[in-house]
Amino acid sequence: MTSPAVTSTAVTSTAATGTVVTGTAVSSTPTQTVQAFLDAFARHDIDAAMALTDPQVSVTVHPLGLHEAGPDALRQILADLVRGFPDLMITVGQVITTGDVVTALFKAEGTQAADYAGAINQEKHLDIDQAWRFVTGGGVITDVAAYWCQAQLYRRLAVKRYDEIAIA
Amino acid sequence: MTEVSQRPRTAESAAGIVAEFFDRYRAHDVEGMTDLCSINAGFFYVPVELWGKQRVLRGDGKVRTIGKPLWGGLITAFPDLSNTVHAITSNDDGDVVAQVDIEGTQQLAWGLITPAGRHYLEPHLFIFHVGPDLLIDSITAYWNDAGISQQLGHNEVD
Repeated sequence: MTSPAVTSTAVTSTAATGTVVTGTAVSSTPTQTVQAFLDAFARHDIDAAMALTDPQVSVTVHPLGLHEAGPDALRQILADLVRGFPDLMITVGQVITTGDVVTALFKAEGTQAADYAGAINQEKHLDIDQAWRFVTGGGVITDVAAYWCQAQLYRRLAVKRYDEIAIA
Repeated sequence: MTEVSQRPRTAESAAGIVAEFFDRYRAHDVEGMTDLCSINAGFFYVPVELWGKQRVLRGDGKVRTIGKPLWGGLITAFPDLSNTVHAITSNDDGDVVAQVDIEGTQQLAWGLITPAGRHYLEPHLFIFHVGPDLLIDSITAYWNDAGISQQLGHNEVD
């Protein structure tokens, strides 16, 4: 089922779509909104990605035990990934739209260059499959829930124990 | 035996099949869960990977060869295994996404985790595809296996 296009006046960024938007209405489907977010994240353009989120966006990152409202938490999640893995590559496998909910399945790959999630940098390669469930409304993302397996992440970063994450 | 429905596939009917799947899972009716799936239904439990010296076993395969024994093993190890469905969304193409908590109390060994009578509850995201015959033909699931290990008192990454 394809969701109807929605009209948004909230998006003011230019980076995600390459189109100048200055407070006038733009039309975007839930799929287009999330695809633009993913494209910006893949370019490491965090400002462009964040411009597609609601100021009160609800953020849940299950593997990190994070449940917060507001964009700061999401910005931090994205920034930490890009800082920890400067060559981060996001490969989207599937984008599934179910009404206003868009679920993206993608692989995140990169080489660790800084501490991440408590794991010290041992220059290991990370490849991890993730699923992010977005809720959209008014042309922006209002809710994000991220799922990945922290066991897989730590295994690839050569962490040995959950209670001694910073000890290689 | 696989159940074949005469109803047309819509977003609502596809979501209903998935809701029924979790009802049967909650009732520990593994045969009933399998009956809701097509003969060759795909099964992809992304966090499942067992690293050996020369190979990695993954939770990829078919419902009947990988999924069914895995569900049965979970129910054996966690006799009070249950689930809470928080949200199901779907579309007319048969895609269904479900946010579900899975929980249980460990009574027998599960993988490398020895039983200590501990309880876990972990959020899962399931992505199903329901075919035009209203049979599930693909199940993919994501969750944080580290969360389960830690709740069960197992602190080795393996």
